[in-house]
Amino acid sequence: MADIIENTGELEEDTLKGRYLTFSIGNESYSIEVRYVTEIIGIQAITEIPELPDYVKGIINLRGKIIPVMDVRLRFKKEPREYNDRTCVIVIDIRDISIGLIVDTVSEVITIPEQDIVDPPKMNKSFSNRYVKSIGKVGNDVKLLIDCEKLLNDDEIESLNEVL
Amino acid sequence: MYDEYSNETMLDIYVFETEQLLEQLEQLMLNCEKETGFTSEAIDEIFRIMHTIKGSSAMMMFNDISNLAHSMEDLFYCLRNGKNEIADNSFISDLVFEGIDFIKEEIEKIKNGISADGNPTALIEKIKIFIKDLQNDVQFPDPGIKKAIVETTGSIAQDTYKSNPEDGRAPPKHAFKAVLHFEEGCEMENIRAYSVVHNLKDITSDLFHIPENIIDNDSSKDIKQNGFHMCFTTDLGYGEIQEVLMQTIFLRELILEEIDKEEMERISKNKSKPYLVSESDEKPGIHGEKLNNPGTQKSKTERETPLSSGHQNILSVDVAKLDRLMDLVGEMVIAEAMVIQNPDLAGMELTNFQKAAQRLDKITKEIQDMVMSIRMVSLTATFQKMNRIVRDMCKKLDKEAKLVIIGEETEVDKNVIEHISDPLMHLVRNALDHGIESAEEREAAGKPRYGTITLEAKSSGSDVLITVRDDGKGLEREKILNKAREKGLISKSDSDLTDREIYNLILLPGFSTKDNVTEFSGRGVGMDVVARNIETIGGSVIVDSAPKSGTTITLKIPLTLAIVDGMNIRVGKSLFTLPTISIKESFRPNAGDTFTDPEGNEMIMVRGNCYPILRLHEYYNIATDVIDFTEGIIIMVEHDEKALCIFADELVGQQQIVVKSLPRYIRDFKKIKGLAGCTLLGDGSISLILDIGGLIYGWNVN
Amino acid sequence: MIGYNVRCNLMARVLIVDDAAFMRTKIRLTLEKAGHEIAGEAENGLEGVAKYFEIKPDVVTMDITMPVMNGLEALKEIKKADKNARVLMISAMGQEGIVREAVMYGAKTFIVKPFTDERLIQTVEKMLSL
Repeated sequence: MADIIENTGELEEDTLKGRYLTFSIGNESYSIEVRYVTEIIGIQAITEIPELPDYVKGIINLRGKIIPVMDVRLRFKKEPREYNDRTCVIVIDIRDISIGLIVDTVSEVITIPEQDIVDPPKMNKSFSNRYVKSIGKVGNDVKLLIDCEKLLNDDEIESLNEVL
Repeated sequence: MYDEYSNETMLDIYVFETEQLLEQLEQLMLNCEKETGFTSEAIDEIFRIMHTIKGSSAMMMFNDISNLAHSMEDLFYCLRNGKNEIADNSFISDLVFEGIDFIKEEIEKIKNGISADGNPTALIEKIKIFIKDLQNDVQFPDPGIKKAIVETTGSIAQDTYKSNPEDGRAPPKHAFKAVLHFEEGCEMENIRAYSVVHNLKDITSDLFHIPENIIDNDSSKDIKQNGFHMCFTTDLGYGEIQEVLMQTIFLRELILEEIDKEEMERISKNKSKPYLVSESDEKPGIHGEKLNNPGTQKSKTERETPLSSGHQNILSVDVAKLDRLMDLVGEMVIAEAMVIQNPDLAGMELTNFQKAAQRLDKITKEIQDMVMSIRMVSLTATFQKMNRIVRDMCKKLDKEAKLVIIGEETEVDKNVIEHISDPLMHLVRNALDHGIESAEEREAAGKPRYGTITLEAKSSGSDVLITVRDDGKGLEREKILNKAREKGLISKSDSDLTDREIYNLILLPGFSTKDNVTEFSGRGVGMDVVARNIETIGGSVIVDSAPKSGTTITLKIPLTLAIVDGMNIRVGKSLFTLPTISIKESFRPNAGDTFTDPEGNEMIMVRGNCYPILRLHEYYNIATDVIDFTEGIIIMVEHDEKALCIFADELVGQQQIVVKSLPRYIRDFKKIKGLAGCTLLGDGSISLILDIGGLIYGWNVN
Repeated sequence: MIGYNVRCNLMARVLIVDDAAFMRTKIRLTLEKAGHEIAGEAENGLEGVAKYFEIKPDVVTMDITMPVMNGLEALKEIKKADKNARVLMISAMGQEGIVREAVMYGAKTFIVKPFTDERLIQTVEKMLSL
């Protein structure tokens, strides 16, 4: 994992376009745009905060900065799993909001050119697909590209209505 | 790159200074309105402010702003030099306020990097027409010809013919013809020409020039096109004359030719009216524009407190730097704790270390206090801004009201000022829009015609209380209840809410009892945004009202946001911190001290008084083994004279904590009851800071 | 004969007198960029006169409209005590009368707002040789 932990903060925005970080939840793998990622760290002590949805696990101390963490498994309405030393926290920064995404593992950074990105199929209504913005074709593989904004902003109530 | 830097700096300074000047101007205008008149000092100051804005705007190439300022300057020039019997003060006020608003808007655009594309033409026209009207009343001079006004104090402005010297001196040796062309765009060519003539007067006699009249500005055009022609006699030789003329700054081209006496005669004879430099010209009785020198002319009329530009020993500091300084002080406090509470030191003999640590602590505290005090700003500016709002709204709504300000010198953290400015504006607008009735209604109700809005600030303990109070018609209890029910904001069982609780319903999102959305309020986004803004800085809003008498809105804001003394406690695996200042006492209770009241609430007796117990582990649903009161600790906390006993597992220790607000992501979700923020402890772990006031209030409501 | 202006390259010690922080900064940055030294600044004519005798600059840039004491009065005071003082009047459009009077009282020359950086620099440098 050490080789993947990179601080992408200093690279120019342009060189990050089209580059995606891949992580997995169980057997499924997803990707998010590297330009949102500020760092990747191992799981650490989380301070719980009451009265929040289950997927907002609490807050952590990241070198003096206090940032919230979200369990992506729970966000995707999957079975929760215990954290181990492979569990990673992907710290993203969108519109001045910092948040850490707790995922099972982080695998690689890949480049997906624009032409290989298509809209997701409409038929499959499984819950996690709400957050999939588009699909990237890499060789024979298919990567589910996550919409970070939706991940942060989507209200539970709205999403329940859709599922129903 | 230096240019970029200096351009940005210039823009920042321009914006800052212009905003300051506009504020000054606004205050000045409001004062004048109150006093129902423009004193000559006020007119002077307004004139100067417009003049300055005109100049710097032109330098920054914001020509629309400059032109508007120029026309306002003209207006006040007119007023200044007139007999000051102005009939239409109100109209002038409105013109000025319109101008202020226009420039304010443009400055906003500039601040946000948008182009300042506002068009002041209509307003400038209005001003010009008004000036014209003033002039028809012959007392007021035409600013257009102000440059040419000449006061004759006995000496003659025009040049007169000076005959040859009578004192028997030898006639001058040489005669010259010169044509001077000035640099493109150097402006005021006629004055430049005058400057040349002035420099020649001592060394020449019989000087003629074309154009002849260099006092009026129309000659500038002539000089620009054809150059400035001179003809003179002198004792000096060609080289010397050339040297003198070449010293003319802004000289583009000089043509100098020596001529003989005959030609000189011819030229002088061709004039029907010779124009010469005369000695009488030098008397200081000539003024193009009379300058008021405030230092020497004291007005005998009553002086309002003049708004000085504040020439005290004050430094302008970039707020970002102050924020960074605050952060560093915070980090220093944590770092100090990590040193002093370091596990490595456990069990060691530390007398000298303790002494040194105490000294360090003392210094750290003093730095904290200093930094905090630097950030403290008085509420004066914020409160005074409300004057304008009251004035404008009264005019628009045709109501009469006055604003009373109390305690404006109270200081709060700069950060706080930014968060209460808009809420206060909204509250004042509300008071005028919904609260204060029209003059007729008020009279009918036996109230004074003038409504009063009181804006008050005072410190109370560790908070600052800001109240907006009006003596209007008060809130309508039933209307609020109905609306709340309609919007599903309360359930039927809450029908026995107290009055206060009902009034505070208006703080809920989506609430509004105003049927028509007026320009100013009633959109239903107002009060809850106010509450949100105040909560962001750790404060709270309380609404109170008396039907027909008025409404009072109280903003309670913690004085210092950042560093407080805290007591850390533990519940299960979670850590919490309470501000020490709110702790009355803490103890382990005995079995018999606690009991349950008829409604099922757990209570405790302390020295004859009864207090409710809040089980933190239940409140926040935390797993812990310590359920029995006698195994944990009771901490009695107090806020606003109400007390509560909090039950926790154990006390962990006391330390200075740096209050950090919860991350925005979480704050955006909801306001978690009872939490004021979080803090980093000496060992890096996070503790949640309890909001005692919130806990107590929430407890009472339930 | 035809003559042209000569540009002078000595370094000037300048005193800036203007009540607007904006103008003071603008003039300061412009002249410093051209290699001159700002020996002092004053916010009104009275301060300007005091500073003049304190620091004895090579050139004074003097705004006209200022509180406490305006530029014309300050010019007069300075010239009274030092007839060789090099004072550059910073004028706005519409102040021809005052500028004329200033010239009469010995102001070396004047520039009119808004002016370019070039103009300011050239004028100050030209004044050094006078």
